[in-house]
Amino acid sequence: MKHLQVKRLTYLAAAATLGAVGLMVLSIVSPKPIFLVLAMSVGQGLGTLSLAAYLLAIALDLNISAALADQVEEEVGEMLDEKSHE
Amino acid sequence: MANLDSVEKLLKLAALACASVSVAIIAWYLIRRPPLGRLTKVLLLLGLGVMPLGVALTGNIAGYEYTLKRPFCGSCHVMAPYIRDAEDPKSQSLAAIHSRNHRFGEQSCYTCHADYSMFGAVTTKMNGLKHLYYYVIEYANTGPDGEGGPPIHLYKPMKNTTCTQCHSTEAPRWLATEPHQGMLADIRSGEMSCLNCHGEENVHPLALHRRAKTAQSGAGARKEARP
Repeated sequence: MKHLQVKRLTYLAAAATLGAVGLMVLSIVSPKPIFLVLAMSVGQGLGTLSLAAYLLAIALDLNISAALADQVEEEVGEMLDEKSHE
Repeated sequence: MANLDSVEKLLKLAALACASVSVAIIAWYLIRRPPLGRLTKVLLLLGLGVMPLGVALTGNIAGYEYTLKRPFCGSCHVMAPYIRDAEDPKSQSLAAIHSRNHRFGEQSCYTCHADYSMFGAVTTKMNGLKHLYYYVIEYANTGPDGEGGPPIHLYKPMKNTTCTQCHSTEAPRWLATEPHQGMLADIRSGEMSCLNCHGEENVHPLALHRRAKTAQSGAGARKEARP
């Protein structure tokens, strides 16, 4: 479930970055006042939010990985204990 | 000016290169949908963080540099008469004479209309946002020269420091001009404006012509002049 959340968040961040970069490129290719204002406000805001979303996804992924590693370690420990008892 | 132009072009190229790399990485990720391994994470950090940051930084500087230029000021149709006059090689208006001066170059509008103080660039750009707001709400669909909109005027009186940053009141030639001698103290203190003698039709004659057209059409009369 959490893996799916991480994937979705990453796809969302990627799509938002495409929009942000598109706005910024538009202001470079066609530097009209309205495009410049849009690039410097909406474009950069969207870019910042998408980076934050990606970092959140990475943090969640690391959290999941750490939890999984703990779980595996615990299970292996239990199995080893059982074998030693036998 | 040529150097500044090449710097601006380089910045634009750098911004476009960063944007291309970013888009390529994102497209690869969205099409191939690889698992989030270490390499994918690092590549995505480049595509979603580092490269867009590069686009924003270089694009901002290039964009800011462009906003100082005459073509940017002329990109709103209401400025067309001002730009036509400034770029007319035969015009004897102050705007045209200063625009022909290579020290002003393409930045002739900004040099005279920017606030001359520590935070001048910031306040000038804030005023630029105000221009955009008024342009959208008052001057859209107002004819090829904006003659259907209210008259255009400065937000505050032109300060003498704008002129004296180049035309020093200490310069011998300036001091030798007879009218200057009689009002030296007033000019330096700002009580006497340079534009009292050098203003109106000397500065932007085609703009005055536009104002006359506005008054004739009567469209501008319905709105009070802004402070």
